[in-house]
Amino acid sequence: MEKQLKIDFEKKLKDFSYSDQEKKFKETNFKEFLKQGFPNRKLENWKFSDLNQIIKSNIGDLTFYNDYKKENQIDKIELINELEHNKIIIVDGKIEKIDFKFEDKDKIEVLVEQGEETIKENINSLINLNNAFSNKFCKIIIKKNYSLNKPLVVYHSTNKNTQSKNTNSRIDFKLEENACLRLIDIFKDNSEKNFLNIYYNFELDKSSILKNYKIDKATNNNVKYSYNNVNQEANSISETFILSSGSKFFKNEINCDLLGHHSSAFVNGIFDLDDENHHEIKSNINHLVENTKSYQLVKSVLEKKSKAVYQGKIFVSSEAQKTDGYQLSNAILLSENSEFNAKPELEIYADDVKCSHGSSSGSLDENSIFYLMSRGLNYKEAKKLLINGFLLDVIEKITDEEIKNLIKNLLGVKE
Amino acid sequence: MLKINNLSAKIDNKSILQDFKLEINPGEVHAIMGPNGSGKSTLSNILSGKKGYDVTGEVLFENNDLFSLETEERAHKGIFLAFQYPLEIPGVNTNVFLKTSLNAIKKARGEKELDAIQFLKLVKEKAKELKFDEEKLGRQLNVGFSGGEKKKNEILQMSILNPKLSILDETDSGLDIDALKTVADGVNALRKKNNSFLIITHYQRLLEYIKPDFVHVLMSGKIIKSGGPELALELEKKGYENIN
Repeated sequence: MEKQLKIDFEKKLKDFSYSDQEKKFKETNFKEFLKQGFPNRKLENWKFSDLNQIIKSNIGDLTFYNDYKKENQIDKIELINELEHNKIIIVDGKIEKIDFKFEDKDKIEVLVEQGEETIKENINSLINLNNAFSNKFCKIIIKKNYSLNKPLVVYHSTNKNTQSKNTNSRIDFKLEENACLRLIDIFKDNSEKNFLNIYYNFELDKSSILKNYKIDKATNNNVKYSYNNVNQEANSISETFILSSGSKFFKNEINCDLLGHHSSAFVNGIFDLDDENHHEIKSNINHLVENTKSYQLVKSVLEKKSKAVYQGKIFVSSEAQKTDGYQLSNAILLSENSEFNAKPELEIYADDVKCSHGSSSGSLDENSIFYLMSRGLNYKEAKKLLINGFLLDVIEKITDEEIKNLIKNLLGVKE
Repeated sequence: MLKINNLSAKIDNKSILQDFKLEINPGEVHAIMGPNGSGKSTLSNILSGKKGYDVTGEVLFENNDLFSLETEERAHKGIFLAFQYPLEIPGVNTNVFLKTSLNAIKKARGEKELDAIQFLKLVKEKAKELKFDEEKLGRQLNVGFSGGEKKKNEILQMSILNPKLSILDETDSGLDIDALKTVADGVNALRKKNNSFLIITHYQRLLEYIKPDFVHVLMSGKIIKSGGPELALELEKKGYENIN
């Protein structure tokens, strides 16, 4: 892999004329990735999902170079038609289209250039990989007091012929004071056996609101990793909802730094897994000042040999008195071979806090099935009704009605 | 309508029903009374298709072999069990459940399914008859319902599904006098020429309001005595120990 990495990185550097600073940034990150490689189970964060092994067994040898000068076709990508939306279309890691047609143009600034990249040091080797190979720097700024009229949908797509490739994409968002963004990530996989590496960086200024809905529903054979870094100033709110279902492997990592008083973070998710799919949600909620709040609820429905992992961490620094942190996960195992791993972590250095966690897993209640069947529903219908009921409270956590309905439709939840 | 011949049932080799015999004709109301552990609930579970019992013997429902039918098929054919302990189903709206259930049965019978408006009209009417708080219909099924409300909900389901044979498994337990009367009114409203009832109970209290045609005493898995409504009164006086 090292040889391929070096060849592809040289090729990449030749494609554009990078400034010395940019070149140094990319090279530093590249060297760091070379040193560390893909994360494996020796790392605590990856002990339930050995990415190195997962890539080996599902993809084999990867290539890392993508021709960003080439224009990709986007007219065949199926768009959501249930709701009006702004869009960004990414194909093989390259942003092909940015369209804010429903918005006031003065209120949104889009920076797409080889700009200065700032980065939190040493998150993990995948961020290094992303920094080394991702295309242009893209930053979207939502101006003070502006709420987008329509959601922004980011389509993550791959070309039909793309195979055994690693694609990297990164978008930075800044929500100025009192701004509001609804962001939906949708995955449109036209090819298989690729590794998609996605990195988002959010700066939430005072009283801004971010709602990010990640929807991985369509069945596909790709391996994905997504990292959200969210820095939150006073009174800001971040709401993340993850529907984790279709991909062969998907790990969603959410890092929220609650830096301002009365800021709050919500991370909710559903694992709806079948076959041998293996998905993970890893959260780090860092309560760093007084009076901050976090809430996490993750529900899993696991068929066949699927495996779900939820590692939820709540960190409370010594300054962060009056913290309110909560996390809960429940799983229904529908087969003897399915697996749910939960690792709740509370690391608390303040003494006046309210933090709790809980986790449960079990099978579908046969008495409830019998009750529903005695009312004329067959086994399949009874099971579906019970599962929908089980998932309903996490779906109800979605605060945007329009998007809640979209997700209900995707899951076939009726009211 | 229902013919039970030599029914024996075991759980984990423990015998619960032995050579049980009973015949219910259209329009009849039968009461089965018996002490705890006599096999009353097992009988209702077996009739509605609960798994986990080893059974021998024969049960015919309108000449269909009941044991060859799945639980939901028995419901389609018109058997209804009002549960002793109705289950709480979180996240499932009561109205949605009732509509799904009614339409599943209608579909299986080849009848036209009800649309949302027709259904709401029907359910409102029935809820009113049973003095069932309509607001509860918008809530999750049985979640946060009191014991009495759960039992009333069973009778509401029964009156909406309009079964041929209704089995009431200790529906009277946990009910206050007012609720008992309402439940009895619900049952009596369904008493027609072709609808039959099997009422399973400890006490004769419910039978003051729903007058049975036949009363059977179940002890240790066997019917030891059958008679008319007067048998219930005799039981109340003498107790199970001294009957015979």
